[in-house]
Amino acid sequence: MNKWLASSALAVLATVALMVAQEPPAQQDPPKEGGKGGKGGKGGKGGFGGGAAKAKAPAGPFTRLPDGHPDMQGFWNAANNGGAVFEVQNHPIAKRGVGAGKGAVVDPPDGFIPYQPWAKQKAAELFESHMDQEPELHCFQSGVPHQNFVQFGFQITQTAAHMVMAWEFMHSYRIIPTDGRPHIAEGIHLFQGDSVGHWEGDTLVVDTTNSNDKTWMDTSGNFKSDKVHVVERLSPVDANTINYEATIDDATVYTRPWKIAYQFTKVLTPNYEQMEFGCIEGNQDVTHYTEDVGGKSKVVIKPPAGKE
Amino acid sequence: MIRCLILMTALAGTLLAQATYKAPRTWNNQPDLQGIWQARTNANDSVEPHTAVLGMSAGAGVIVDPPDGKIPYRPDAMAKRNANFKNRATADPVGKCWMPGVPRMTYLPFPLQIFQSANYILVASEFVHNYRTIYINGTKHLPGVDFYNGDSRGRWEGDTLVVDVAGFNDQTWFDRSGNHHSDDLHVVERYTRTAEDVLSYEATIEDPKTFTRPWKIALPLYLHKEPNFRLLEYECHAYLEDAIKDGSK
Amino acid sequence: MKLKITLAVSSALALAAMPVLAHHSFAAEYDSSKSVTIKGKFVKIDWVNPHSWIWVEVTGADGKTATWRAEALPPNGLYRQGWTKNSLKAGEEITITGFLAKDGDNLMWSSSVVNGEGRRMFAGSAEGPGAPPAPKQ
Repeated sequence: MNKWLASSALAVLATVALMVAQEPPAQQDPPKEGGKGGKGGKGGKGGFGGGAAKAKAPAGPFTRLPDGHPDMQGFWNAANNGGAVFEVQNHPIAKRGVGAGKGAVVDPPDGFIPYQPWAKQKAAELFESHMDQEPELHCFQSGVPHQNFVQFGFQITQTAAHMVMAWEFMHSYRIIPTDGRPHIAEGIHLFQGDSVGHWEGDTLVVDTTNSNDKTWMDTSGNFKSDKVHVVERLSPVDANTINYEATIDDATVYTRPWKIAYQFTKVLTPNYEQMEFGCIEGNQDVTHYTEDVGGKSKVVIKPPAGKE
Repeated sequence: MIRCLILMTALAGTLLAQATYKAPRTWNNQPDLQGIWQARTNANDSVEPHTAVLGMSAGAGVIVDPPDGKIPYRPDAMAKRNANFKNRATADPVGKCWMPGVPRMTYLPFPLQIFQSANYILVASEFVHNYRTIYINGTKHLPGVDFYNGDSRGRWEGDTLVVDVAGFNDQTWFDRSGNHHSDDLHVVERYTRTAEDVLSYEATIEDPKTFTRPWKIALPLYLHKEPNFRLLEYECHAYLEDAIKDGSK
Repeated sequence: MKLKITLAVSSALALAAMPVLAHHSFAAEYDSSKSVTIKGKFVKIDWVNPHSWIWVEVTGADGKTATWRAEALPPNGLYRQGWTKNSLKAGEEITITGFLAKDGDNLMWSSSVVNGEGRRMFAGSAEGPGAPPAPKQ
């Protein structure tokens, strides 16, 4: 009987990304294929979602684009932010295989999302009994701000009128126009929301509206409504570091706005490349999600026949 | 007579200007192909000439070589195409919300956005938030990969971006009509901006396991000019899941 | 039916190559105290997300064969460990070391694979469940 590994399996890989970014795998026999593998050469070898962080020379200052704004382009590691990809809140007790961690919430200072009472209950219920609704299980994109800290890292591209973030995980992207245009019309709801950006000095401020309610803040039931409004601030520190914070505001779910913060760190592996990642093409999870790990849904979704 | 000459010269000048449109340059001094583009042809229904059926309009196809516009299949591959065609309602990978591959991604009825950076060109598609990274930094194909979209390595030839795509799996079709390939597929694309709002796209397709010879498609991509136009989302699998749940599929 | 497998109980694993947090899925599905090694003929790999699957035909001492499935890293993870689609040939004799599933027959999680020529390739996690060590800064 094919016991699936649910989207939580994807979350397993998040930790791999965390771990390997810091600790390269122990040396194995070098791979045979033309000696091209395993040495940080072409093809993105060097681990998950980034490179091994070796002993550090201090990074130089960031460079600037032709329009004078900071150049943030390059590959950025999967986040090292207290396990927020699993549980964005402070989580001092290991639970269901997820180790303790501080999460990424910095305001309120206790690290917990300031839910309204009904919402706090709903979040707990989702985690306990409705993990069948976990978005990654369905190959849904992760939404804002969760997308920023998924496993395997991302790539930033900047052009005269756009900033683009592109993830290996599920080939997600966020296209953020910086040409001063308004948001899209109110009636359109998107998994990634609609983002518009502008510069305040050397900080890129990104305003996101028009989300739908199908993404979570993490993989632990911290849900959102489609009224959520997120303001992110990306402030490059040096060539290899960007300070990131996001303020999340939704008066229908929270008692007040709350904030996450952590740093993006650059992938240092030379010749690093992202790879294709198919989700729905091989997604076994949806039919196999059982009650064993908290999914109590009776809905059986049969995706179309998989790869022959 | 002189007025006639002046008119003729002006006309020639206009024609010449169109024939010799030169794309502006990006920050990185590359020909600027950036913008949101979309094909108007219905090649996604069939890349070959085809009659209309209910829900699908007729088309001349996009194959320019061979001249009859038909894919030069090996006999066994033709049989497979015909079987695919019969099963297309359930067998089309794009109908299952899978990544469409190359070149199909280019002529889906969804907008494409191109971004250029020093070492790569990023092509994002609204359909299932698919994107390709075309490396233009002299790097070689990744060995032994099996990608839906293939692995893309490009270079500039004058103002034309030439992209070599390999490392495909055999899980994509060229259109809804069952036209298929093996994992030996090799595609060479050529992108040239021939006017401010036209991107000429050509692709030579070869796959000795499937076709008796290479074949070639060509079609224009048109710039979206609606104010503040942007890619939205077509999260196909989300809708498919809902349709399965509510029994409509 | 006797299968040619080696069952060893191990607490501290020598191969701490890639310490991986077991999310509840691993803990729910696999038993980190039941290390297992299988040897058999490679059938195929399903290169899919979230995890690849390695299919192996294992022949027991009684001559009967059973098909085992070994869960492994996703395609991008395998590739970065040096795998390509041609790394294993159908029919090749391979050895997979990992952990037994709690439930279900002939099911395991892969840690590493040794191919027909004796080359070892990393295929998955080596650790079982528990909190991860704090990442080094």
